[in-house]
Amino acid sequence: MNKTGDNYINIIKSLPDPGLGLGLRSKHFNHILELNPAVDWLEVISENFMDSGGRPRYVLRQIAERYPVVMHGVSLSIGSTDPLNKEYLTKLKRLAGEVKPLWISDHLCWTGVNSLNTHDLLPVVLNDESLKHICTRINQVQDFLARPVVFENPSTYLTFKQSTINEWDFLRYMTEETGCGLLLDVNNVYVSGFNNDFDPVHYIRQLPHDRIVQMHIAGHQHCGTHIIDTHDRQVAHDVWKLFTLAWQLTGGVATLLEWDGNIPEFDVYHAELLKAKQYMSSIGSFVFDAEELAADSEVVSNPVNFLVNNVNW
Amino acid sequence: MSSNNFSLTQLQNWMQGMLVHHAPMQDIVLPAAVEDIVNPSQRLSAVHHLDIYRHSYIARLRSCMQSQFNALAYALGPELFELFADQYLDTYPSESYTLNTLGEKFAQFLQETRPDAGREQKENWPDFMIELAGFEYALSIIFDEHADEQPAVILHDTPDEMLKLAPVFHLFHHQYPICSYYLEVIQGREPELPFPEQSYCAVTRHNYKLGLFTIREAQYHFLKNMQRGDSVEAAKDNLVKAFEFKRADLDKIWPEWKKGFIDAGFFVFDEP
Repeated sequence: MNKTGDNYINIIKSLPDPGLGLGLRSKHFNHILELNPAVDWLEVISENFMDSGGRPRYVLRQIAERYPVVMHGVSLSIGSTDPLNKEYLTKLKRLAGEVKPLWISDHLCWTGVNSLNTHDLLPVVLNDESLKHICTRINQVQDFLARPVVFENPSTYLTFKQSTINEWDFLRYMTEETGCGLLLDVNNVYVSGFNNDFDPVHYIRQLPHDRIVQMHIAGHQHCGTHIIDTHDRQVAHDVWKLFTLAWQLTGGVATLLEWDGNIPEFDVYHAELLKAKQYMSSIGSFVFDAEELAADSEVVSNPVNFLVNNVNW
Repeated sequence: MSSNNFSLTQLQNWMQGMLVHHAPMQDIVLPAAVEDIVNPSQRLSAVHHLDIYRHSYIARLRSCMQSQFNALAYALGPELFELFADQYLDTYPSESYTLNTLGEKFAQFLQETRPDAGREQKENWPDFMIELAGFEYALSIIFDEHADEQPAVILHDTPDEMLKLAPVFHLFHHQYPICSYYLEVIQGREPELPFPEQSYCAVTRHNYKLGLFTIREAQYHFLKNMQRGDSVEAAKDNLVKAFEFKRADLDKIWPEWKKGFIDAGFFVFDEP
């Protein structure tokens, strides 16, 4: 790693812990603007605001003056074999200049090739070729943005025969090669572990904990043979248990509750987040509970409806 | 063929083809079954693992289309809307990092695939659906349009020469009563499919919220003149010329128009 990478590591290690945060959703714009609820910080989806010349950007400007904000993206597509999208990066940098986020994050994934976008967080092949490819691109993105980027482990529903590296090791190598930070999505570890036959406790223990800047927690739907990362309900008890472990291993980092489908009223959303306090110091036992199964065949991973503008009149 | 022989590019093209087109891309031939590329797990076969992504891809984007074309989805009914949305997403898969432009070509797609294409005798309903799709997409663009909004505090007795159109102001002319149909749907009513009828409407944005107003034909042309840069007086002159109105009649009705336009937020101060 070069000197710039060393510098990024130092920045990552010195990032603040703003506490317990929530995702900013258009449904809650008025509530937040009118009542200034006592949430520690807010995570905004970069793509919802980078092109906006209307209400979303107007609201974000006001919120960024009142709360610490983190920018979380879904379209960087760091694992894609397409060239990096310079227009996207330019807008991302411009938005960051305006919002002044604590950090910028995205996912270890690809969203499309041949200029298409599936709007899904697709799994990357985990081998030497893709590690080199992704690290090169992370370096390019970080140098363009002039700051380290934080990458999240996605929820995955398959593994490739060509993969030769465990995901936890892949993430570790990424941080070592580029100085990037990690966003540990505890729910995603649980979901991916069940779907792909690995032990989520082992996964979390193997990560480079000093590079974890933030955690995500969320609800999921258990379908019996697999789990879908739906972000549409309360956090499962087993995920809280994993959160306790992650909290202990990281020493406590910024934690955010994602809720993107069937989004409840703000107070309900906030109350679910605050449950995290009781799991920060509890003693974890890693015997996982049986969960309620869904008979619904329409369960969809990574809901994106909330990414479409909610037109107000 | 061993899966180790696939490059990253081949693998990503293969997977995207399976999601978007339900088959590998024709120009990226991977002579391999799903089982050659994807691992099975204790509970699921390789095909089932891939199917989770395939199912979610179309369900997720169909749901976004439904959000973006609420009134059209009502007009078509859920099954027909889903059919059109799925075909559209297959024909025009997203090329953008933002979902806000997902439906950009939907009206164009409905025109290209209208069921009476090639027939001499045209049906009415496709024209209505195409206009409604175009209008709904336009609203989503106007909602997020870049503009410096100004406070719309303007008095009814403001001199005409100090009036100009609001920074976010758009006019629409339809062959069907599109605006009123749209408003009925979003207000929770259940309108019948309308008969053809020329309609005109204006869309404004104040305090970052849209205002939709049905207007009359003459008002549409007057406001269109102002959009082209006319002052109030010039817009009146051009309206009189184009429609052979009597100037006195227009001047008589103008105070009523002006009050209505100011109340609706069509005008802002034209500061020198």
